[in-house]
Amino acid sequence: METDTFRAMLATVTERATGFDRDAFEAFLQRRGEPAWLADFRRAAFDTFASLDLPSRKHEEWMRTDIRRFHLERYTPLPGGDQAAHGALPAARLAAGVQVGGSVLSLDGQCVTSALDEDLAAQGVLCGPIADLAGPHEDLLRPRLMTRAFDPAYDKFAALHAAFFGGAVIYVPPGVEIKKPLLIQNVLGEGGFDAGHQLIILGEGAAATVLSETASLTPGGDGFHCGGVELLVGKRARLRYVNLQNWGSGVWHFAHQKARLAEDAALQWTLGALGARLAKVNQQVALVGPGARSQVNGAMFTEGTQHLAYHTLQHHEAPNTRSDFLYKAALQDKSRTVWRGMIKVEPAAQRTDGYQRNDNLLLTPDARADSIPGLEIQADDVRCTHGATTGRVDDELIFYCQSRGFTRREAVRAIVTGFFQQIFDRITIESVREALGLAIAQRVREYE
Amino acid sequence: MPDWIKIATADELADGETKLIEVEDYFLVLARVDGQFYCIDDECTHDGGPLGEGDIEGFCVICPRHGARFDVRDGRAVTMPATQATGSYEVKVEGGEVYVRLP
Repeated sequence: METDTFRAMLATVTERATGFDRDAFEAFLQRRGEPAWLADFRRAAFDTFASLDLPSRKHEEWMRTDIRRFHLERYTPLPGGDQAAHGALPAARLAAGVQVGGSVLSLDGQCVTSALDEDLAAQGVLCGPIADLAGPHEDLLRPRLMTRAFDPAYDKFAALHAAFFGGAVIYVPPGVEIKKPLLIQNVLGEGGFDAGHQLIILGEGAAATVLSETASLTPGGDGFHCGGVELLVGKRARLRYVNLQNWGSGVWHFAHQKARLAEDAALQWTLGALGARLAKVNQQVALVGPGARSQVNGAMFTEGTQHLAYHTLQHHEAPNTRSDFLYKAALQDKSRTVWRGMIKVEPAAQRTDGYQRNDNLLLTPDARADSIPGLEIQADDVRCTHGATTGRVDDELIFYCQSRGFTRREAVRAIVTGFFQQIFDRITIESVREALGLAIAQRVREYE
Repeated sequence: MPDWIKIATADELADGETKLIEVEDYFLVLARVDGQFYCIDDECTHDGGPLGEGDIEGFCVICPRHGARFDVRDGRAVTMPATQATGSYEVKVEGGEVYVRLP
């Protein structure tokens, strides 16, 4: 392309967006109309954001993830259109064929609809946009919102999130067990910005299933997601949380996600990642109370030149805690995944049982998976196991299938499905198993 | 037929110097050795990180992190820990300006 044409094109793009300067922030704050405590929180976060630079490539977390092509100023927290009037959003795959008990759906960071079954509301369950709940539920939310499971000063993205977040709160009171899943869905329009936050609080002995899904209106859609997830699981509470990242292939996705488990709490956290141009996610589980246990299941399937990077942590802070971590990634074309995982065991965390495994299946010669497990153990009566495998598809397996009448594509699909089966078997939610299985099977293409 | 894109002027670099160029979706290292210009991807195939800040010795750019060397003439990986070539691009000088041809 002619250099002059290229320059002209770039000029048009930067003229359109307002970026995240102080004027944009003040205008954003005006639009929110939130209680003072929340506005103050955002202001402090914005000051932090303005004082930080984007992370440098010399930093451990960014060494393998190149964001030089990411331009913050191309996006805006002030969407032009009226998102609430958009009409029906694409149906959530995770909720196909399932009745949900409550939902919060948003487009470009603005809540479009939210709903909660009456009988759940009657039991004191909360499920709705943060903007609506921050005022009436300050006592519940203020001590918990980004205080224990999210650090606004962690890096520039965390600070941006803490200043510009929208999102949902789900609260399940002690002893309440919700059978129907609750759904949070975030959708991005072309070039849109979403800083959806999820604060999920389970009281003592509570139980719930939360499905969270992202999508773009257009398959190749550009966009910027800067997200945060806080899962606060109380004593003896049980949470099943599913997070499917299915943005268009032009979206930049940055997220800090963390769970804190109290005594005897149980968490099953399932992550699926199919979309995005580049994703850099910090995913952590802190086992804070004795007897807490977590199971993390990750399924990634990349194509084109996607780059998905996950930095994970299983933090054992108390004795008799158990963490079980399995990430599986299948890669096509020239895509790339990075996994940097850590099991950290504090001195007090005796009789910890920590397991961490990452398996990668390379379907093409140019795909690349970086897999870096890690252990940092300070107690002396523990069991910690970690492992990582990376390999190409075995041509003999494909030939065997073909000799039995499979086409090459059917053979690869069978092998990929087999590869992910271990993850599917660990997911106890039928609709999620099916949705993920279908999404993955649909992605398998013909390979040489 | 992909176009030639101007990326620098011929007198911007002295012999034995490199410059990081960002053009379209590419990050490139432009190097000048013995009066000739060469252009390779700003990517070390060992860890995927940038080469841009590395020193140049003869025809080789040295990755600042782990010392992998890439020949600027064809992007070939000369030493471990790199084993795969990085991308290399045709360069021409016309009227005192340096052009690169991108695919």
